Amino acid sequence: MKRKGGSNTESLTKNLLEELNVETVFTIPVFGGIDVSESVVVTWIIMAVVILLSIIFVRNLRVENPGKKQLVLESAIGWIQDFFVDVMGKENKRYVPYLITVILYLGISNIIGLFGFKPPTKDLNVTAALAIMSMFLIEYSGIHRNGLKHWVKHFAEPVPVVAPILILEIIIRPLSLCMRLFGNVLGAFVIMELLKLVAPVLIPIPFSFYFDIFDGFLQAYVFVFLTALFMNEEQE
Amino acid sequence: MLQLSVSNLLFTIINLVVFYLLLKKFLIKPVTNIMEKREKMIADGLNNASAAQEEAAQMKQEYTAALAGAKEESVKIVEKAQTQAKAEYDRIVAEADEKAGSLLDSAKSNIQLEQEQTKKALQSEIAGLAMAAATKIVSEKTENQGNQGIYNQFLEEVGDAHEDPDND
Repeated sequence: MKRKGGSNTESLTKNLLEELNVETVFTIPVFGGIDVSESVVVTWIIMAVVILLSIIFVRNLRVENPGKKQLVLESAIGWIQDFFVDVMGKENKRYVPYLITVILYLGISNIIGLFGFKPPTKDLNVTAALAIMSMFLIEYSGIHRNGLKHWVKHFAEPVPVVAPILILEIIIRPLSLCMRLFGNVLGAFVIMELLKLVAPVLIPIPFSFYFDIFDGFLQAYVFVFLTALFMNEEQE
Repeated sequence: MLQLSVSNLLFTIINLVVFYLLLKKFLIKPVTNIMEKREKMIADGLNNASAAQEEAAQMKQEYTAALAGAKEESVKIVEKAQTQAKAEYDRIVAEADEKAGSLLDSAKSNIQLEQEQTKKALQSEIAGLAMAAATKIVSEKTENQGNQGIYNQFLEEVGDAHEDPDND
């Protein structure tokens, strides 16, 4: 019994690690071989599907007498745009398309597990890349708004003692974004795997609704909302 | 899972940038454009409507003014026509009066002239008749009738002749 339990745990650990591990799909044979991981390939698939769908839906847009599909599309885009404009103000409208891109990508990535793909957000490289992009965007928006001089000076405000902390914040903010997203997706995935192992029938359904769908959208929302908030903060 | 690989990090960043550019071009720009166009169209429509309303109000005012002017003018025209008609009527009546008067006058003078002529003709006829009667009576009845008879006969003849012009 003891041995059986031990081997069960071992196999579970092995399975989980295998699931968590991001495999290299193929290697580009230049510069000694560049690995292309699963998350990148899944991202390509997401991109292809979304772009294809947008081309299909956007093709027949009309100013007058819009169809049902167009109305849904317009109200969705308008709603997201209004949301970001509310957070950041009208003068930051130029950043809205990027934030829409990120929320779309994250939302789809987080629930793509339901369709049998490995969520790209389960790869630390993806969340790190998103965080790095957010970091640059946050600092850029500050510099763009108030000028480089003001941006350099603001580290020493209100007193120069806080400068090291504020400089650290440049890294900490995106790091927290990155780790929050990664940890949430990873945690949700692990819990779901364990649950499926313990009770494979019916019981995972409500949990799947929470962890796979609700949490996925919630994390996408939190990521872009915090990015927008940090940008706002940086512009003050 | 937890290992960072520079190549995949870079790939993801490139993916994100490309995804952003494509989405912007294929989804966000067209939809936003359409929405902006519709907003502009609605704003234009409202502007046009208010302009048209203003124009209509102005036109209405103009029409009212024109109508009032026309009314005044028509009253004037009618008055003028009335006075003209009155003058014409007066003139015609006066002319007719005059004409009738002159006609009457000429008729009167004609009648007088005729009367006089008739009188003259009658006088001469009476004289002739008297002569004839006198001659006849004298020649016929001088022997067997007295003077009384001659007078009577003469008066009878003359009285007959005298009644004729009166009846005429």
